[in-house]
Amino acid sequence: MRAETEADGDIVRAVLAGDRERYAQLVERYRDRYARYAARMLGSRDAAEDAVQDAFVRAYDQLAQCQDPNKFVGWFFLILRNRCFAEQRRNRTKAPLEAADGVAAVDTADDRTETAERRRALQLALLDLTPDQREVFVLKHVEGLSYGEIAERLSTSVPSLKMRMHRAYDKLREQLRDHT
Amino acid sequence: MSEYDFHPLVKQLLDGDITIADLPVELRAQGEEALRLLAAVDRSPVSLPAIPQRVMRALTRPPQRFPRWLLAPALALAAALVLWLGRSQGPMATPGSEAAITVHFVLSAPGARAVSVAGTFNQWDPRATPLVRTTANGMWTATLKLPAGHHQYAFVVDGVRWVPDPAAPAVDDGYGRRNSVLTL
Amino acid sequence: MILTVLALLGMQQGIADRLSGRVPPDVGAVVESLGTSAAARGLPIDPLIQKAIEGSAKGVPSARVIAAVRLVAMQLDTAAAALRAGGMISDTLAIAAGAFAINAGMSAHDITNLLMRRGGQTTMNVRLELNVAGTLVAIGVPSAEAADLVSASLQANRPATELLSLPSQVQSEVARGATPAQAAAGLARAAAAQARHGPPPGRPQPPPHPPAPPHP
Repeated sequence: MRAETEADGDIVRAVLAGDRERYAQLVERYRDRYARYAARMLGSRDAAEDAVQDAFVRAYDQLAQCQDPNKFVGWFFLILRNRCFAEQRRNRTKAPLEAADGVAAVDTADDRTETAERRRALQLALLDLTPDQREVFVLKHVEGLSYGEIAERLSTSVPSLKMRMHRAYDKLREQLRDHT
Repeated sequence: MSEYDFHPLVKQLLDGDITIADLPVELRAQGEEALRLLAAVDRSPVSLPAIPQRVMRALTRPPQRFPRWLLAPALALAAALVLWLGRSQGPMATPGSEAAITVHFVLSAPGARAVSVAGTFNQWDPRATPLVRTTANGMWTATLKLPAGHHQYAFVVDGVRWVPDPAAPAVDDGYGRRNSVLTL
Repeated sequence: MILTVLALLGMQQGIADRLSGRVPPDVGAVVESLGTSAAARGLPIDPLIQKAIEGSAKGVPSARVIAAVRLVAMQLDTAAAALRAGGMISDTLAIAAGAFAINAGMSAHDITNLLMRRGGQTTMNVRLELNVAGTLVAIGVPSAEAADLVSASLQANRPATELLSLPSQVQSEVARGATPAQAAAGLARAAAAQARHGPPPGRPQPPPHPPAPPHP
């Protein structure tokens, strides 16, 4: 029998009915979906891996509370987001430099040192923003979402997002002045 | 607003609402600076191949939290047990003291696969206090020691249905359901 | 009660810590803000935090959780005003109990009346009295009758444990066919009579069992 791609909702319902192993399908399907978001928010691939793992475990624990199983990934995103914010609160006092040690700039063969350096500088500057500012920047400029899409996901308004973003632009500019 | 802030038009450029050609000449340099900033954004994908294995392994470990309920095996309970009859008869504990009062939570739910109680005493966590099925005809129970004072709670059936205690007074929970009330 | 800036900042961190990991950040931010200003007004913050955690645990969307928390804040303000009008000065536990009673359906006016009729009872029991009054309203006793019943019981010097059993006493009467209002009024009358005349001389005993007939 040729297996069609199963809908998320069907997998969620199967897991809730007791088939725990099916959860691995969901994890496999979405394991990388927000990995980049977590890495940019937390400044390190290792921290992102921990956050994504914890978020999937918590999502399993709370699977019964997923209001719309067909929209599992959107609900999972909020859990991951929550976990990232909690992590950032715990690490409030940690200097951004340490946190950014693991920033994975995938250096391709023709990457100039200067480009990689600018990329690292921006990631460090991102970590100096408030979590809210960093998030809107990452969702729009890393993940490529529109303001409308971000507003829907975070249950907020486009004007308030733009306000946050425009503050972020100014703070980033100030941080990066030495690199222009 | 500091003099180092981006000009509002340049912010629109950053937002993608206008192109650099739309900027007045005197802002072009700032516009190019802004675009260089965006070009430094690292969009490389991040891959976490170890995640599925790590997650599934974590799920097979028993939950970290130790359950705080006591199993009360031979409970002589009337079917219509009114909760506050479970109180000890001693003098009322002062509010906030740790002197705990034994409360029996009971729900008749023959068709349920799992029942728990969640409320103000356990951070509304449906996983914190499972009930135990004590009889073949579907009575579920748990016994907790709670401090004196006011508590609200509800039963969670099969992890999905929030059900107030039919034997207790209920109030609006503000979310379209009702919470049960317990004053000790 | 004026809180210093440092105390307010500490408060904010305390709220943030309790919410961390249990509510989404947008909810957390609003609750922190509402909680800090509530604390500066002398209101308890625990009900706000509990309502936010409850909503998140129940899977409720953030906007609705925020609306519910705002409603609790309003109920706390109303309760505090009712307590002040009744001669009580800031007791956060009593305010929380008052807000519960209001949410259950009690009117601020009846809360004030209940307090004014307490006489010289110690402050500690106000919380209990309001919790009981709110519970009575939750089981269908009208607001004024609930206040009357609690006041009458206090005036009859009923101990706290008996106050706690008032809702079940009402429910027993309801099971016998009374409406909650009638049940509460009846119990209040009995308490008032006891307050006036003292306890009845010897409670009626059940008739002694007739001696078993001698076996043949």
